[in-house]
Amino acid sequence: MTGASITCTDLTIRFPVYGADAKSMKKALARAVAVGGALGRHAGVTDVTALSNVNLKLEAGDRLGLIGHNGSGKTTLLRALSGAYEPDEGSIEIYGRIASLLDLSLGIDPSATGYENIRLRCRIGGLSTKEIDARMEEIAEFTGLGPFLSMPVKTYSAGMQGRLAFAAATAVECDVLLMDEWIAVGDAEFQKLAHKRLLKLVERAGILVLATHEAPLLKLYCNKVMKLEGGVASEIVDIRKVDELLKS
Amino acid sequence: MQTATHMLRTGRRGAAFQFQMASRDLVNSLGRLGLSWSLAWHDVASRYRGSVLGPFWITLSMGLMVLGIGFLYASLFHLPLNEFLPYVALGIVFFGVMTGTVNEGCETFVMASGILSQTSLPMFTFVWRTVFRNLINLGHHLVIVVGMLAFYGQWKVANVPLALAGVLLMLLNASWMSLLAAIASARFRDVPQIVISVMQFAIFMTPVFWLPSRFGEHQIFLDLNPFYHLLQAVRAPLLGQSVAGYSYVVLIAMALAGWAVTFVTFANTRRRLVHYL
Repeated sequence: MTGASITCTDLTIRFPVYGADAKSMKKALARAVAVGGALGRHAGVTDVTALSNVNLKLEAGDRLGLIGHNGSGKTTLLRALSGAYEPDEGSIEIYGRIASLLDLSLGIDPSATGYENIRLRCRIGGLSTKEIDARMEEIAEFTGLGPFLSMPVKTYSAGMQGRLAFAAATAVECDVLLMDEWIAVGDAEFQKLAHKRLLKLVERAGILVLATHEAPLLKLYCNKVMKLEGGVASEIVDIRKVDELLKS
Repeated sequence: MQTATHMLRTGRRGAAFQFQMASRDLVNSLGRLGLSWSLAWHDVASRYRGSVLGPFWITLSMGLMVLGIGFLYASLFHLPLNEFLPYVALGIVFFGVMTGTVNEGCETFVMASGILSQTSLPMFTFVWRTVFRNLINLGHHLVIVVGMLAFYGQWKVANVPLALAGVLLMLLNASWMSLLAAIASARFRDVPQIVISVMQFAIFMTPVFWLPSRFGEHQIFLDLNPFYHLLQAVRAPLLGQSVAGYSYVVLIAMALAGWAVTFVTFANTRRRLVHYL
């Protein structure tokens, strides 16, 4: 990899909110009939601007912390960076393999066994069957679940499920790592292991973007920080100024 | 989450650009058909998890249905079993694959909403997942088809290459219907009900359980029924009958027109699809 990078230029994302009503075809049809077929493009749909004109430039070695209140657009930005949301205006350009650890439960099927879930999750994460075979032992060992891996995940405790999901989700190779909250799970002992593993992943990845509310975590893992407020982004500042940013 | 190392997303609009992005989605999905296949296998495996027979329930329940309907209708209409049973078996199996692909299409994007909202996996990956899942079901049903044809000696007259061409035409058509249903169902939650009703109606309007000769003077209803042509292209060659050239014209025209409309719809809604869910 010649160096990962993320560039967002005037990134604006709006959510169309299709209320329970708007999903009903009857309403849409009724509207179409009422206005004689000239159905307005946005009829009955409210737009919410989740991000407006966000500019961002990150290069290999940058570890960006995203802060902001609930609903300030942190998760939206992460989802946009993961490629799930299309910009309404502006652009996102990313070089490097992207891994998004936004939701640990992604792709987990409670009725399948631990092993099957590891496979499934890694397939979704972009690993080939061969790569999974090669890593299975290491992933299985890391979960520390031993014989339970052959049992359906629904029989696991929440902590065990967390371990499994964490091990599978972090088995990927990536250059850009996106995280919504620092996803260390499990008991104290496992959290230590998890921290180590994530740190390794972060070290290997060129870029980390982490959304969190916890200042200590930011100081530990990030070297830059950005604040989102109602979808508007602040300047990216050095981590040493995080306290000022948090107060403002 | 992808192995591609460059991603560019812009707010650009315009028909040409949307078309280009939709094509890229399609091409990317074709590059990772293995993922669609893995997901489809997982779906089938998890559906029959814990049952003793596992996926062979697919075969068994279909076998019971074929025998039940076969014997019933053969005696109701005084038809010879050796002709009617293979006819019904092929009809139910292949019509089932078609309705399955279209009906399950309604769930394609809704079921994948978690993955779609946090990865950049192509949307088509999930369309192929639905198609493959039904192909896997077909694989289990083939036991019945092959058994029936062998038992009644039909394999002597069966034109397998022509039937395979028919299967291909059927899949080409069923997959655009599936995608169209997927998009519409994501936006309007009434659509799955409509699709299921239509497909249920279709199975009775199409000669699946009954012989087309019974239609008599109402032949026009058969010629106008696209599902009749879809089924005919697969079933007739396997029974050693010929397929009307007209049927192929209908099927090819329908595949082209259907995909054109569906692809334009996809290109226009792709940007918004994830927000529908």
